[in-house]
Amino acid sequence: MRRYLAYLWREFRGEILVLPGRTILFSATAILLILPLLYPHPYLLRILALTFIFAIFAASWDLLSGFVGQLNLGHAIFFGVAAYASAILNLRLGLPIIITIPVGAVAAVVAGLVVGIPCLRLKGQYLSLATLAFPVILMGLVFMFTEFTGGELGVSGLTRLAPTRLHEYYISAFVGVLSILAIWKITDSKLGLVLHAIREDEVAARASGINTSQYKLIAFCLSGLFAGIAGGLYAHFMRIAGPQSLSMLTSFQAIIWTIFGGIATIYGAVVGVFVLFPMLEVLRVAPEIRLLLYAAIIVLVLRFMPEGLAPWVVDRLERECPRCKEHNAFTRRECRVCGTPLRVPLQKTPVSGEHMSGGEGLSASQEGG
Amino acid sequence: MLLAVKNLTVCYDTAMLLNDVSLNVATGELVGVVGPNGAGKTTLLRTIAGLVRWERECKRGTKAGNITIDGEIHFDGQRIDKLPPDEIARRGLVLCPERRRPFRELSVLDNLRAGAYLVKDHRVFQQSLESVYTMFPILKARAGQVSGTLSGGEQQMLAIARALMTQPKLLCIDEPSTGLSPKIRAELFAKIREIAKSGLTVLLVEQDVSLAFSLSTRNYILSHSKVMAEGTSDELMKDEKVRQSYLGLAGPASA
Repeated sequence: MRRYLAYLWREFRGEILVLPGRTILFSATAILLILPLLYPHPYLLRILALTFIFAIFAASWDLLSGFVGQLNLGHAIFFGVAAYASAILNLRLGLPIIITIPVGAVAAVVAGLVVGIPCLRLKGQYLSLATLAFPVILMGLVFMFTEFTGGELGVSGLTRLAPTRLHEYYISAFVGVLSILAIWKITDSKLGLVLHAIREDEVAARASGINTSQYKLIAFCLSGLFAGIAGGLYAHFMRIAGPQSLSMLTSFQAIIWTIFGGIATIYGAVVGVFVLFPMLEVLRVAPEIRLLLYAAIIVLVLRFMPEGLAPWVVDRLERECPRCKEHNAFTRRECRVCGTPLRVPLQKTPVSGEHMSGGEGLSASQEGG
Repeated sequence: MLLAVKNLTVCYDTAMLLNDVSLNVATGELVGVVGPNGAGKTTLLRTIAGLVRWERECKRGTKAGNITIDGEIHFDGQRIDKLPPDEIARRGLVLCPERRRPFRELSVLDNLRAGAYLVKDHRVFQQSLESVYTMFPILKARAGQVSGTLSGGEQQMLAIARALMTQPKLLCIDEPSTGLSPKIRAELFAKIREIAKSGLTVLLVEQDVSLAFSLSTRNYILSHSKVMAEGTSDELMKDEKVRQSYLGLAGPASA
């Protein structure tokens, strides 16, 4: 037992405490999980639970549009399909949450196929325009079959996510943390490498034997799955699935949050939601100019941090080792993995005439350093 | 024959890029395809690798998608001209594309890992990684570096190394010398010779005739979408008409 704890502590120190960025993320998560127990204010819990739900949504958008580069302007379709599916199953068939949310997520995966297959041949702006159309089409269907979907009013009166606010908060938080970790893990896996290669160069990926169409569909489905989880949670949390879940604003919110936080990083999308969504609530102190302030802050941040908030902060707190490319805390003088000095500028190697074998000279001098 | 191209004709809309091209590559050969700009050399390799057919599928219904491909391509005894590019790579015909096309934001090692996508056995992966690093030591030194920041010569080496990681039976290299200084070209071609010596069959498309001829066992001269001549480097260099018309070398051979 004691040895196991020591092992855990060593892992914790070696994997999380060594990097300021990870330490901040870890402490923020810990605070978010403990704070509500100490201060269970219903309004605070409501905002934080919604933040967690939207964090899944933004991260799922970042997976497809940032990481795989399939810029999706109609991400609300996954959110909306899952919200309506969960709501209708819950209300018409009386199914419990434990079934409706997963089935809603599966419905969003199917939506991922429905969007993904016709879009396989499209690239760049054409793909984005096509994806923009899907939520609009579905919105049209919602208003056509009003006896089933409730039309403008939506489907309301769903089962609550949990009997109390605190329980609801913890369900959202745990599902949120797990989903975001899963997305993060996907981008870090071999699958992530393949998806990243497709974003970089689809022709070269195909020439390496990667069936890019198949992997793009997998990306659509995975993104749909997580967006669907968010949609189902949202429907049960708000106890309504309405047409606004399919609106353009829902799609664009995910884009704004992710680009503000840092696109193609996953953690950036999450940071974006956790900064911007509560901020919109704080800005209620000045209700007349609330959205104006909100927009001004986004524009200013992106003006000075064009890659987004989170990568900017990480760049300040961590330094990349010039030799092994491992990240190090900014306080360290040498790389924690290979011991290369970090602060001093690299010694200049004498310029050798031979370019290729000159590389060997460079590596030799680095090993000496 | 490892690769047999029979009467291949490719038209983009009304422009004929390949006109009745036939070509053979036997196992163990290093075959060069030389010729001037616009002769159809790159189109030939892209068609063999299945990229032209894929382009046609992607652009189906548009003017740019009005591509006709006629003729047969056989690889390793099987017809491959109807297969998608990833399936062709799976069968062992791997293209190292023109302009290198590394995955620019990925590190050198991740480029190689992506190239080894088809290799499921970790030991085989480690072995080919070792052999690629032995051949190109600079890639080992740069393993963690983002490949977009490599020099042109290093990117070309990475592109060849990535193609080698796919475990090809036939390696098709498209214009490896583009944009490189004569010195680096010479070093790169020494590496390609080494690859061919190790027993791998290579189909090399190149504009620099003397470089290509210095390695190849056999050559095809492609000009105006057609195969104009075929033969060993010595034969072609001795042929007065070939020298003057296609190689831009006036005067008799000085051999």
